Amino acid sequence: MGVRPPAQWSKSLNRWLYIRNKAGRSFFTILFVVVLNFFLFRVLPGDPARQGIRDPRLTQEAIEAIRVRFGLDKPVINCIQTVNPLRFGSCEVNPLETQFFIYVKNLTRGELGISFYYNRPVSDILGERLWNTVLLIGGGQILSIIVGVVFGVMAAWKARTSVDYGALITGLVAWSLPTFWLGIILLFWGSSHGFPIGGKATPGMSSYPFMTQFTDVLWHLVLPTLTYTIVFMGEYMLIMRSSLLDVLSEDYILTAKAKGLSTFQILKDHALKNGMLPLVTIIAINLGFTVGGVIQIESVFSWPGLGGALFEAVSRRDFPILQGGFLLIAISVILANFIADLLYSYLDPRVQIE
Amino acid sequence: MSIQTVEVKAKVPSPSTNFWQTYRQSKLGIAGLVLLLVITVIAIFAPVLSPYDPKSSAGVGAGQVYNPPSAAHWLGTDDAGRDVFSNFMYGARVSLLVGFFASFISVGIGGTIGIVAGYYGGRVENILMRFTDTMLVIPDLPLIVVIVALTKPSLLNIIFVIGIFGWTTTARMVRSQTLAVKSRKFVLRARAIGAGRRHIIRHHILPLVMPILVVQAVLVVSVAVLNESTLSFLGLGDPTALSWGQMLNYAFARGAMSTGAWWALVAPGIGIIWVVLGLTLVGQGLEHVLNPRLDTHHLMPGRPVVVNHEASGESENPTEKNPLLEVRNLSINYINEGKPPARAVENISFTLKEGELIGLVGESGCGKTTLMLALLRLLPSAGQIVNGQVIFSGKDLTALNEQEINAVRWKDISIVFQGAMNALNPVRTVGDQIAEAIIKHMPGFPRDQRLQERVIELLDLVGIAADHKEHYPHQYSGGMRQRAMIAMALACNPQIIIADEPTTALDVMIQAQILELLDSLRKKLGLAIIFVTHDLGVVAEICDKVLVMYGGVTAEYADVDIIYNESRHPYTQELLKAFPDLTKPKKKLSSIPGYPPRLDALPIGCRFAPRCRLAFARCHTEQPLLQKLNDSQSAVHIASCHLLEVSK
Repeated sequence: MGVRPPAQWSKSLNRWLYIRNKAGRSFFTILFVVVLNFFLFRVLPGDPARQGIRDPRLTQEAIEAIRVRFGLDKPVINCIQTVNPLRFGSCEVNPLETQFFIYVKNLTRGELGISFYYNRPVSDILGERLWNTVLLIGGGQILSIIVGVVFGVMAAWKARTSVDYGALITGLVAWSLPTFWLGIILLFWGSSHGFPIGGKATPGMSSYPFMTQFTDVLWHLVLPTLTYTIVFMGEYMLIMRSSLLDVLSEDYILTAKAKGLSTFQILKDHALKNGMLPLVTIIAINLGFTVGGVIQIESVFSWPGLGGALFEAVSRRDFPILQGGFLLIAISVILANFIADLLYSYLDPRVQIE
Repeated sequence: MSIQTVEVKAKVPSPSTNFWQTYRQSKLGIAGLVLLLVITVIAIFAPVLSPYDPKSSAGVGAGQVYNPPSAAHWLGTDDAGRDVFSNFMYGARVSLLVGFFASFISVGIGGTIGIVAGYYGGRVENILMRFTDTMLVIPDLPLIVVIVALTKPSLLNIIFVIGIFGWTTTARMVRSQTLAVKSRKFVLRARAIGAGRRHIIRHHILPLVMPILVVQAVLVVSVAVLNESTLSFLGLGDPTALSWGQMLNYAFARGAMSTGAWWALVAPGIGIIWVVLGLTLVGQGLEHVLNPRLDTHHLMPGRPVVVNHEASGESENPTEKNPLLEVRNLSINYINEGKPPARAVENISFTLKEGELIGLVGESGCGKTTLMLALLRLLPSAGQIVNGQVIFSGKDLTALNEQEINAVRWKDISIVFQGAMNALNPVRTVGDQIAEAIIKHMPGFPRDQRLQERVIELLDLVGIAADHKEHYPHQYSGGMRQRAMIAMALACNPQIIIADEPTTALDVMIQAQILELLDSLRKKLGLAIIFVTHDLGVVAEICDKVLVMYGGVTAEYADVDIIYNESRHPYTQELLKAFPDLTKPKKKLSSIPGYPPRLDALPIGCRFAPRCRLAFARCHTEQPLLQKLNDSQSAVHIASCHLLEVSK
């Protein structure tokens, strides 16, 4: 063992190691998803191109043309010709000439194939839609965290009073709501109260000035965001309440009280940050779950986002969109998770590598 | 191992009764159980209970599409003229079936991975947990949607796919529980006598991991039910099994919205909420059994002080002239719903002059900390001051409102808590926490460089180097944290510091340092200190006066010399015998057998009588009163013992 580095030095070193460790894990997970995504669509029976090839109206030449177009004439990977049914092939082929490496090569160029339905590059279609989803998740996430934290803090502070029980029951019910159903109910109610029945903008809006278009989009966002907020605030509230109850029985809260700080000061300066820590972890872990909620919301409100794209792709059997959409969603979630980890390491000075 | 079983059985007569009794306390848990029982009965007996056959629209003619609720159709009809109420009942079957079996698969996989990773450790654990973390990050619903879209949407496929992607949380929780169980004594013993791994896992690990598996199973069922309904709603359900999600899919896609047929939309949704809420509530109930948590915290409102006019009169005890602090006949109860109040502290009086150090001595559980918390009105919410006064510079602290007492706290009287390990906030720097007190109580203090200089000065006073100011408590050693606490207590130049067993958790060298520090600060700054301890050695060294407490009452109160040389109470005498005396190294040390009385079972007579070697009949029937003794030149000497009256 060498000389022990000074305390200040080891602190930043530790943080750097922590970040490197988390970045490594995220990279590993992305690789895993990339491989999974490739084989999933070749192992399972609903293979994208073969689905099309089974059409009896196609001539032999047309089938061959499709096979070449989707690269199905090439082996899946070295030694394996096709995966389902499993047929081994030559191991001598140039790896760059196999389906897997062509897929990886295309990915690095941002190419995700051509949509069956739109006959346009998947990356173009999903690229437009990614931002719509970010818009929806961003607003919904911020609102649900604010509402969840405020009510969670209130419930914990007023523990074992009617405020607490009310918040607890509201939280549990909100947690149990199926997202799509809440969306349907809000849509049902909203459509008779002047809210738009779906989409991102009123048709024909593009000729109007920017501000009109902007408020129009906001107007379309109200119900989807409300659905998102109600569903996720329940969980955030329950976690905040439980975490704050733990924090408020800690010794340092008694110290803060003995220091003569007011209840408000104690909550703000001593309890909130500590109580938020588990919430940050949960928000990170939950991002995958959140995406599940977004698919449902976008389906109900025909919101042109990634989740909506996935929903439409399912009913249109548009596999390139399905494959690309899943990959894009998974990678976004992994990256968001990584960012949450970084945030955590700044919030909690005790963070060290395991 | 048979011995082990006998031990466990002897301790817990019947685990199932115990379980039920604890579970019953959770109202939410009971509500959840009722919800689940009702829906399960509906699901099982759907063919008997439902008024119509769900598969056909038999008995319903044309033009019966989206009929509103009526006597014939309680919940109306759907897009094909089928009875919504019947569909609702059959839908329960599909939802519960999918939920139950998918959860079975998830918990099976998660449990196995968790136990194997936790038990075998090393590389196996590393690989399994890395895999679990990877799967945890991948969004499961999109993955399930993709897989179901690529395969046949049969009920079996759906159960299987939902099942194999819902295990990650279970695996993580089971692993940490296995790790905890693995190091328990009986497992180590079983390994030492050569029991096989399978045997240990089955007979020792599994029973203790089981509770977690059960809670997880309940929660995973609810997730599976939600996932199934989402898949069906997205059009990926089994077309032959009419689930609630499927009903919603049909209603949503086939014009229930535009025809205003709310019943076709509301009924299936209520079903899903019913099941998921029921499961979540049962989860809360189980959680209550497994991790019963304290239901109080430090910010819950305290109980109002009982204003007692008798107490405002003359104290029973002789008082000194113009003391800094005077505690008069203070009594504190702990209120427990449905039980008589526990008399934690009764009729305590003492005074404290400027620059004086009083020692508060007694075993653990004698009400010392309760008394100290009451001085600053920091009692937990069950604690209540039921009598007495705390006079500080002419004000009765028990009569102040929250704002007024906040102005006294730390500014005039500060506290150094027992075990500063958790007394400092872990996510704020020590310097910041010291500065906070100054900002709060000295509004005129400049908030610039001078504030930082003052913090450094305070740290210097307790022997902590300036560069530690920016450090967090976890970067401090135990002794440093305690000294930082003292620096913080000094921040606003208080007149009194209460030190509540400040040296208990520290090693002997550090204890001595802290004591020396407190004593030197007292001399330098003219502080008055109340020093709570169970260590008479500490008292002998630095105290001026000693208050010996037993079972919440005053045993003896006098100058330190009198306590050491002329103590009259048997408890004080026993405490002294338990303490080594350097002048008589050959003397045998003796401990006092037994424990202080429990607050809910106080003796009728003298509280020390059950342990007192000198007790006689009267001691067991009558509580002795405090008596003033004029035996020496000491200003005060008070004790409560029947022997004193006899000897008079």
